[in-house]
Amino acid sequence: MNYLIPKTAALWLAAGLAALTGCHQPAKSAADSANPPGGAKQLTIAFLPKSKGNAYFVSCAKGAQRAANELGAHLIFDGPTDPDPARQNEIVENWITLGVDAIAAACENKEGISTALRKAQAKGIKVITYDADALPDARSFFVNQATPQGIGDALMDEAARLCASNGAFAVITGSLTAENQTEWQKYVEARRAAAYPNMKCVAVEACDDLKDKAQSETTALLSTYPDLKLVLSTTSLGVPGAAEAIKQAGKTGVVKNLGLGLPNENKRYVHEGVTQGVILWKTEDLGYLAIYAADALAKGTLKPGDQKFPAGALGQFEIQGDNIMLGKPFTFNQDNIDQFDF
Amino acid sequence: MGTFNKSSSTPVLLRHETILLGVLVAEWIFFDACGRNFGTYDNLCDLLRHSCEIGLLALAMTPVILTGGIDLSVGSLLGLCAIVFGKCWRDAGMPIPLAAACTLGVGALAGGLNAALIAWLRLPPLIVTLGTFSLFRGLAEAITHGVDTFTNFPASFLFLGQERWLGVPAQAPIFAAAMIFFWLLVHRTTFGRSFRALGFSPEGARYAGLPVARRVALVYVLAGVVAALAALIYTARLGQAKADAGTGYELFAITAVVLGGTSIFGGVGSVHGTLLGVAAIAVLHSGIAHALLPGELAGMLTGVLLILALAGASLAKQISGLRARKAARNMQQQTA
Repeated sequence: MNYLIPKTAALWLAAGLAALTGCHQPAKSAADSANPPGGAKQLTIAFLPKSKGNAYFVSCAKGAQRAANELGAHLIFDGPTDPDPARQNEIVENWITLGVDAIAAACENKEGISTALRKAQAKGIKVITYDADALPDARSFFVNQATPQGIGDALMDEAARLCASNGAFAVITGSLTAENQTEWQKYVEARRAAAYPNMKCVAVEACDDLKDKAQSETTALLSTYPDLKLVLSTTSLGVPGAAEAIKQAGKTGVVKNLGLGLPNENKRYVHEGVTQGVILWKTEDLGYLAIYAADALAKGTLKPGDQKFPAGALGQFEIQGDNIMLGKPFTFNQDNIDQFDF
Repeated sequence: MGTFNKSSSTPVLLRHETILLGVLVAEWIFFDACGRNFGTYDNLCDLLRHSCEIGLLALAMTPVILTGGIDLSVGSLLGLCAIVFGKCWRDAGMPIPLAAACTLGVGALAGGLNAALIAWLRLPPLIVTLGTFSLFRGLAEAITHGVDTFTNFPASFLFLGQERWLGVPAQAPIFAAAMIFFWLLVHRTTFGRSFRALGFSPEGARYAGLPVARRVALVYVLAGVVAALAALIYTARLGQAKADAGTGYELFAITAVVLGGTSIFGGVGSVHGTLLGVAAIAVLHSGIAHALLPGELAGMLTGVLLILALAGASLAKQISGLRARKAARNMQQQTA
């Protein structure tokens, strides 16, 4: 979070200067340079996060900006700063009158935002979604950061690697009814049955998406199953909770800890050797790919029915139906976790 | 000093509404010059659509504040009414007009609850509506467990929030009707005069024989009905009803009313001032987006605008008061 502060300050300074100098705006320059002599038209691409202050999306935006620089596109990054669910719609509607060429959106309210995105499409603006999808008729493509199977496989493969494909492990889930977590759990089990028959899942406990509960459940698991080799969390709050329990039980390194989560909230435990791995995707790549896709869609080089999509420095991506797949999840561990800040 | 007006002792040019109109025009010229596609008719329509719900709440908030009260529950009530509407239509299978009528009824009932507690039990409005602020939002969340979302409304209903009718946004005629209703109520009826009297001095109003409780109750019931109306328009605009609808709208509405020159202590204020307040904030928000400035700036500048407008109005009043005293002194010296 710490680098956010100077960044915000710089933003304010820029805004203040813009206001002082009679608003020497990037908008007009974007419009004026629409047809620079001897060059292609500069595209304006708008990038909508679920919320603007969220470090996850700030990190996505970093990748988005890098992509825009490479493509020579003008990037607008704006999103809600207050909890009003109508704000995303208003921002998109403002972009429609602004006349942007393409919009890449992470949707907070699927049904609500689809209204505004459909309107944008009707005005000829190309729309793609990333991170969280809209209704399928409100966008051309969804940049899909991970499939349930991809997540399940990645979790189980990493668990097996840490345990040398042998031994007992327990699963901490958010709740036994949450649709996405149940789905991931199913794929973890499928992967185990298919590839690691010598590993055994001895318990699945729900922590109600509370860190404290994850900790107490893990403490109970550690005493119930003395031969437990690994705790695997399918909720981001499970990982630090389980880590605290393992550490307090004095089983650091003996019982391995792994799960889905954000690097920042796990860095401490990863460096202490309590947590061996945190699995998610590279958010910067997600933003980068989203902008490349929006740009290609606006230029007409990306069309429905395409099977492959090349995105600059990141190479080829697979398209399944109307989903552009970011690929396999990424494992943050002791060697690389300090390179990420979200 | 020949410019005395029956409603104010401040000259027209120094009056709050005039200053605010100047600010609004300045905003418009500034953003039209440096924003992309700001001054277009399309954007004007979007401005109206985006500020319609908060505008409605601000209209209804004006008489509330005029009586010296406050209603913090309108944003939460908007959320509750959106849920009631969705529930009536989807789960109870009512046709849209009936569901809308039920929603307006619930709005009136909820406003009635505020009214009963404030007018008859004589509890402070700030405390009562702080309570119902939590109560209404809590009810909305309890009904939907926080996750149920109502969507797939028929196109004929969505028309109300998303389409144009005779070239103007479909909600514009409703807003105009509410505007005329509240303007007439506050400025052309004995009700309006009694609201001000109540704000100046509730005891005085009581001694003067005004039906204080009934008049106070009326403004809160109206606020409830208007919140329900805003919920219908909000649902049509977004195409979804969820328990978090209208979060924070009560503060936007109060800001617009106070920016419009209505005294937070009651007794002084106008409906056209409120409209200018709503417009000044809406233009600022839209202008900042169209000039591609960071959106956070809108919140900050709204605060600056509010403080400047209030300080400016206070200064203007002091200057004209000073002049009046000077004139009076000159007169005394001449006669002496």
